[in-house]
Formats: sequence, structure tokens, C-alpha cells
Amino acid sequence: MGPMAAFARDARSQPSTPSAMVRELLDIADYIANLRDAIALLRANELTRDRLPMVHEELGEVVAATAGATNSIMGNAEAILALPESPGYRAAVEAKIYDIFEACAFQDITGQRIAKVAEAMSQLEGRLSRFSSAVKARDAAGVDEAESTRRSRNEALLLNGPQVGGPATAQDAIDALFD
Amino acid sequence: MALDLSMPILVVDDYQTMVRIIRNLLKQLGFEDVDEASDGTAALARLKGRKYGLVISDWNMEPMTGYELLRHVRADEGLRTTPFIMVTAESKTENVIAAKKAGVNNYIVKPFNAATLKTKIEAVCGA
Repeated sequence: MGPMAAFARDARSQPSTPSAMVRELLDIADYIANLRDAIALLRANELTRDRLPMVHEELGEVVAATAGATNSIMGNAEAILALPESPGYRAAVEAKIYDIFEACAFQDITGQRIAKVAEAMSQLEGRLSRFSSAVKARDAAGVDEAESTRRSRNEALLLNGPQVGGPATAQDAIDALFD
Repeated sequence: MALDLSMPILVVDDYQTMVRIIRNLLKQLGFEDVDEASDGTAALARLKGRKYGLVISDWNMEPMTGYELLRHVRADEGLRTTPFIMVTAESKTENVIAAKKAGVNNYIVKPFNAATLKTKIEAVCGA
């Protein structure tokens, strides 16, 4: 229980002497000072102004880069499949393959972008954890309405998404259900 | 019964890359008449306008999922017999069972290859 709650309880339950009240007020002042320090350490403005927009931006770039690379790789592969038999066949295939190699360079760049995102998330996690400990925060009961709607829809439509570490049920096991 | 390579196939996926992959695999198997839709709603509109020999659908799409599309198809008198294969990353057993109960003909977990797709199409459409 924090000093504010303790003060409220004591104020209701027993008459305070002047010295007890001063002690309580000093505790509250300390608590508020700690809270201000914890909020300052959270650097919420920096998070919302710089870090979180950066996360959105970097992930958007990753999606765009992977889509671009995939299109390039598939386009070149389709072009190879469509090449006619001719004396220049090998040279044409080589040219397309070098384009595919070039497109594969996306992995290096996206890897660096994802590392930046992971670092930002790690910072956010650390700051929130410190803040939560400093103010002895407890999660409020109840769930945000939009979040609740989203969860209900996902549950109703069984939108579980891909499983970590590969499929939850192997194709062979699925096939057995259809035999 | 041999596969009818001229049958029209509807591929439903919100990722254009996946549509392209499936289209290429179908082409490799000899199917040339392939249409596409980016979610269940768009797929239903296409299904109302043309008779397809097979629907190959992803599960996780917005606004109408592949699971909802499947249920709509099976509830529609004119579409209920259309062969339907789910191709999805949703690999929990509860998903497979729900899809089977809803009337899916077969179920493929991503990623997959041409051989798997061919086997399932043969199982569903008869070879």
C-alpha cells in the first residue's frame, strides 16, 4: 500500500496528532518526489516523439524492402522461366540470376532495421519496468473496449497466427484428419 | 478421373506475393485459368459471377477471413459443392478441426511446395 492510501486509511480510522500528520505529509512529499523522478526517467516525451515513431517507420521500411525484394526475385525467376531456347540463353539466365543476388541484399538492411526496433523495444521495456517498480503500479482491472472487441473477434474466428518455431500441427497430422 | 487442367481456380489471399507464388505453382501443374481475390468479400463477389472448379484460400484476411468465406460458400445453395482448400499459416489443431467441420475439402500449412499442392488438388478434384 502506498503512503497516499495509508494516509487516507489513517485519516478515516483515527484522529491524527499534529506530529503524525506532519510525518504522513512528509511521506507523501517523498512519494511525490519519487514519482516525479520515476516519470522523468520514463522519458515519455522522448518515447512518443522519437522512439515509437521510429519503430513504426523502420518496420514499414522492412515490409516495403521485403516486398520489393520478393517482387524482384519472383519477377526475375518468372523471366527465366519464360526465356526462349536460343544461343543467348545462358547469358540471359546469368543476368537474371545476378539481379536475384542483388535483390537478396535486402536481408542485410532489414536485419539492421529490425535490430534498431529490438533495441528501442528493449529500452521501452526497461523503462516501463523501472517505472512500474518505482511507483508500485498495479494493472487496472478491465480491458480497453477496442482491445476487447479485437480479442473476441480473433477468438471467434480462430485467428491464432503463425506459431513460434514452426507449425503447431504438422502437415502429416493434418492429412491424417482428412484420410 | 484425370485432373481437368482447364477448370477455373480462384486463389484468395491478401498477400499479393502469396497469390503470385500459388499462381506460379498452379501454372507449373498445368492450370492456366486462375483468378484472384484479396479477401473473403472479394472472393464471394467473384464466386457469384463465375463457376469455379476449385477455391484455394488463405485463412487470415480482412475484412472477411477465409474461414468466414468457407462458411458462406457452404451455406450458399449454388456454391456449396465447390471444392475448397485452405492454405494457411494457422496450424493449430483447433483451426484444422473447425475448418473441417465447416466443410473444407483439404488443408495445407504454409510454407508448402508444388508437390503438396498437387497432392491436395488431386485428392479434392480427383485424379
